[in-house]
Amino acid sequence: MDPVTLAVLNARFTAIVEEMGEALLRTAYSQILNSSRDFSIAVTDGQCRLVAQADHIPVHVGAMPFAARAVVDRFGDAMKPGDVYLLNDPWHGGSHLPDLTIVLPIFGEGSLRFLAVVRAHHSDIGGATHGGYNPGATEIWQEGLRIPPILLGEGGEMRPDLVDMLALNTRINRDFRGDLAAMLGAAKLGALRLGALLDQHGATALMGAVDAILDLAHAHAARIVESWPDGTWTGEAFLDDDGHGAENIAIRATCTKRGGTLTVDLSASDDQVRGFVNSSHPNMVSACCMGFAYLLDPEVAKNEGAFRALRVVAREGSVVWAREGAAVTLCTSHCSNEIVEAIMRAMQGCCPERVMGGWGRRFRIAITGEDARRPQADGKGRRFVWHLFHARPGGGGHAKGDGWSTAGEWHSAGGLKFGSVEMAEARFPLHFRRHEFLPGSAGEGQHRGGLGALLDLVVESDGPARANTAGDGARHGSAGLHSGQDSAPHRYVLRHADGTERVLRTKEVGVVIQPGEVIEVRSAGGGGWGDPAQRDPHAVEADRAEGLL
Amino acid sequence: MRYVIGVDVGGTFTDVVGVDEEGREFLAKAASTPHDQSEGVIQGLRNLASMLGLTLGELLETTTRIVHGTTVATNALLERRGARTAMLTTEGHRDVVAMREGLKPARYDLRLPAPEPLIPRRLRLGVRERLRPDGAVETPLDAASLDAAITTLRAEGVEAVSICFLHSWAAPAHEHAAAEAVRAALPGVFVTCSADVLPQIKEYERFSTAAVNAYVGPVVSRYLMRLEARLQEAGCAAPVFVILSHGGVAPIAEAARLAAGTALSGPAGGVVAAVALARRGMGANLVTFDMGGTSTDIALVTDGAAAIGRGREVGGERIALDSLDIITLGAGGGSIAHLGAGGTLQVGPQSAGARPGPACYGRGGTLPTVTDANLLLGYLDPGSFLGGAQRLDVAAAERAMALLAGALGLDAAQAALGVHRLVNARMADGVRVATVRRGVDPRGATLLAFGGAAGLHASAVARDLGMARVAVPLFAAGLSAWGMLQTELRHEIARSVVGAGAMPGDDALPALFDGLAEEARAQLAQWYGGEIGLSLAADMRYGEQVFEITVPLDGVVPTRAALREAFHARHRALFTYDLPEEEVVLVTARAAARGVLPALPRLPAGAPRPATPEAERRCLLEGGWTMLPVWRFEALAAGQRVAGPAIVESPTTTVLLQPGDAAVMEPGGWLAVSLG
Repeated sequence: MDPVTLAVLNARFTAIVEEMGEALLRTAYSQILNSSRDFSIAVTDGQCRLVAQADHIPVHVGAMPFAARAVVDRFGDAMKPGDVYLLNDPWHGGSHLPDLTIVLPIFGEGSLRFLAVVRAHHSDIGGATHGGYNPGATEIWQEGLRIPPILLGEGGEMRPDLVDMLALNTRINRDFRGDLAAMLGAAKLGALRLGALLDQHGATALMGAVDAILDLAHAHAARIVESWPDGTWTGEAFLDDDGHGAENIAIRATCTKRGGTLTVDLSASDDQVRGFVNSSHPNMVSACCMGFAYLLDPEVAKNEGAFRALRVVAREGSVVWAREGAAVTLCTSHCSNEIVEAIMRAMQGCCPERVMGGWGRRFRIAITGEDARRPQADGKGRRFVWHLFHARPGGGGHAKGDGWSTAGEWHSAGGLKFGSVEMAEARFPLHFRRHEFLPGSAGEGQHRGGLGALLDLVVESDGPARANTAGDGARHGSAGLHSGQDSAPHRYVLRHADGTERVLRTKEVGVVIQPGEVIEVRSAGGGGWGDPAQRDPHAVEADRAEGLL
Repeated sequence: MRYVIGVDVGGTFTDVVGVDEEGREFLAKAASTPHDQSEGVIQGLRNLASMLGLTLGELLETTTRIVHGTTVATNALLERRGARTAMLTTEGHRDVVAMREGLKPARYDLRLPAPEPLIPRRLRLGVRERLRPDGAVETPLDAASLDAAITTLRAEGVEAVSICFLHSWAAPAHEHAAAEAVRAALPGVFVTCSADVLPQIKEYERFSTAAVNAYVGPVVSRYLMRLEARLQEAGCAAPVFVILSHGGVAPIAEAARLAAGTALSGPAGGVVAAVALARRGMGANLVTFDMGGTSTDIALVTDGAAAIGRGREVGGERIALDSLDIITLGAGGGSIAHLGAGGTLQVGPQSAGARPGPACYGRGGTLPTVTDANLLLGYLDPGSFLGGAQRLDVAAAERAMALLAGALGLDAAQAALGVHRLVNARMADGVRVATVRRGVDPRGATLLAFGGAAGLHASAVARDLGMARVAVPLFAAGLSAWGMLQTELRHEIARSVVGAGAMPGDDALPALFDGLAEEARAQLAQWYGGEIGLSLAADMRYGEQVFEITVPLDGVVPTRAALREAFHARHRALFTYDLPEEEVVLVTARAAARGVLPALPRLPAGAPRPATPEAERRCLLEGGWTMLPVWRFEALAAGQRVAGPAIVESPTTTVLLQPGDAAVMEPGGWLAVSLG
């Protein structure tokens, strides 16, 4: 195929996943999707190789092909045009239970050619607690509803009775149904576009182009890796705890670079723990892909070809690859972030100009209660679940400059939007008294980290609300690299009406919040990069004038 | 004879197009004057007048309309040379614009430097006040904190203030009161309220648009007032309009008020022209390639229409106003060729601009530019550039190129050819960004080349992209200015109506839209006496969604049932499904008033008799030095064919046809080139 057609097709695949993502963003019901963009879209070929993925949430980058593979393994030759598949189970193609994945097969000239994969984080997936994250869980059955690959419907429609059953197992029925409809809409849009592409070019030519596109990406990635020195380096990172007694849980990466291949070996990481910071296998592979992608040039296509330059080794039964049945819900945040941190710490010995200071850790709160402003037929306020995405931590400093302020964590890297405060106040019984940068929160360095934020959030629910926390980083700040310094860790408190405070831990269930009480968030900035003594004095002066120190 | 005039200020030249009552079109050029663009505008008008055998005063007295495209706002944003701007905002929320909702572009580029804020943090001042989402006052506007902020504004000597309070979309009273206090205390300071710029929920978009408006407002309004004064002084009584980012036009006062809406005023004319040419048979799918002296603008016309987006970024700043989708490259005829750090030849991003301009302009430029290269390659005639008004100095171009050539170990001509090829490759990359990278195959489209420099590069650029057709209008050098005369007046009003219920009742809905339409009509009627067309639209969503879809309501009586039905249908068309059981929420009502400006008469193009080449010129092509026939563009008869390689030149445009190109003069007034 000629190079222009190849370039057009490569971009066309990306344009298709982006259009699907835009459709999902615009049609989804829950705040976590439509405001915070916690979803990912991918297209794989019939062999379940990643062809294109929209730039949404990096931690999903290497995980999506596992979903396609799980569907193909389960249904194989029984798959037919119009089938709609669904899954979420981490041992059956999923990453963690809140991420539901819809898979649509696309056929051309009689064979399976593509799979459109739409993954979206649902605001509730049943289980013991609201909001999808259950820090109390010590096994996956306490975390929510497990869905292996199922045939959700045929002819492009969902079976209503199956949807009823699924919805019945979640707390926010309306969001669940709206989001599932939006996911299917996005997947169908992708199927429509890919079908047209198959008609236009013919399946044989198009699949030939896919081979060429993947090979080009591999060559591109390998060329960059080849430019680094060969050798072996190690790095480690620590989780605060698992909420069940294990503390300072170590993730250890041994990175070996030979020629055009980088091997990341996580085998020396600690054993799996009781709490939900364990990783599923697909999520662990994906986290390694994410860290690898950050080290490459941003222009490298994110597809199966590029990730051929990466080898991942791990040990089943370790915290990064838990055995079936373990609690894993937090893994897309933690221990994903620590996997990247360990890789970065190792690679600062290999390519110090490419590693960056630590991006902040995730510390989420999900609040549920009743909203008196939206009365239901029974006179009670409508139930809501709201997820904290505001007051993001800072991004890490790097060779080219200071980190981005309030841009978030490794696993999202500026891809999770916190959404409009005005819209949040209009839709939820919440009042954002203050929401600004937190001076002094950045890790110092030649290039400092970005700033974290402060948020004073008044909860105005009808009667007491309840909050679950899920996160990490109240003990360990964002990592300083290449002689840069760590940032201060997160500090979240609940301020009572009498002025006393209660410190919120990162893994709590059922914290009661009385109407009018204030959640005070002080989030970590990013880690610094390079020796702080090398920092340009003018930059320090500018930070002081801006009130950032 | 009466005239309408379009004026397009580019980085290097100011183009002035006059069209008379019989449809005759005239193009005059003057050097742009970046320190005060209005000087170049007046000089351009003077040049047009003398072309017509008139004095400037005589021309302006008989002028019935002037439409102007300006890059003042764009340049201020790109070069960060806007006003010293502050923001008064709700206490506790002063980092809204700097946080950018936590989003960072380029997901996998973690080494991307963070942007400098347009308004530094120490000039984003909190004021004690707070509204609830329904507009209710939680904390009244506190006079003491407002006074304190104003004291800081005075001490800092700010020139512009944006006032951005949370929930002002629901109740602008606090913003208006603060604005009044600032105006009273600091006369002469440009004040803008977020609720007046974009009365819509979602604070980041509203605040950022208001911040940009304040930042460029003083610069834009000073410029427009100066221009207006100069025009009046010269005897102009005609209304003066400014083309806006969405391609419609508005009078000077409105453009100065909503200065952020002029961010794409410069390149908008070319896109509007392309739409007009598509209607005249050039082809439904065009890629505009507007190569000027300092920059090149690229846009798509698909099925005869240009895409309009709800907001875009200019210079990294979000402007949430309607805008044409245009990509700008920082390279053009004036781009300077130099040896890069890696020892390789590079072109741009530095430009010789209007002053000193390319070395061959003889105004003191000593660095080799793309134009110098084109001259040395024989593509440009030193004696007839700008119809002979600007003599090109070949020796100066040679001296400039010799330095670079020496460093490359080439002779000057070979170095010039390298510069020409390199800039072609960059232009092709730019077109790729606008097409291929969006998954649009450019090969089915026609490359519409215009702007002073595009004619020499279009054929090679199109060939690089595998495009089969190029069109170069006879009026290529003034097409943007010409396009400004092809568009309509437009005034848009939008208002968020988020309330307790999903939608106002049928008793209130028609009144809501009627009121908006009347407001838009009344606004437009202040500037325009002709017939006014109105169109309505509604931004709606399903209950729990947060993004709205804009649904046109042309011919729809706005009742609840009609709005719902229109929304379901649009949702289905866009996203493959609808949810007929779900509640539909109306978020923003929109009305646009359009004033149709009188259409221009058209004359068929082409000379009465086929021409023959008027000369020959020695040119360096890829294959070596070749004698090329030189055709006069305006002497070609309709239907006449010209085979490449050849030069086709008019006083303002030179077209280089490569070997294998086959061109035909179209009666519509453009050279249609088929690439062999």
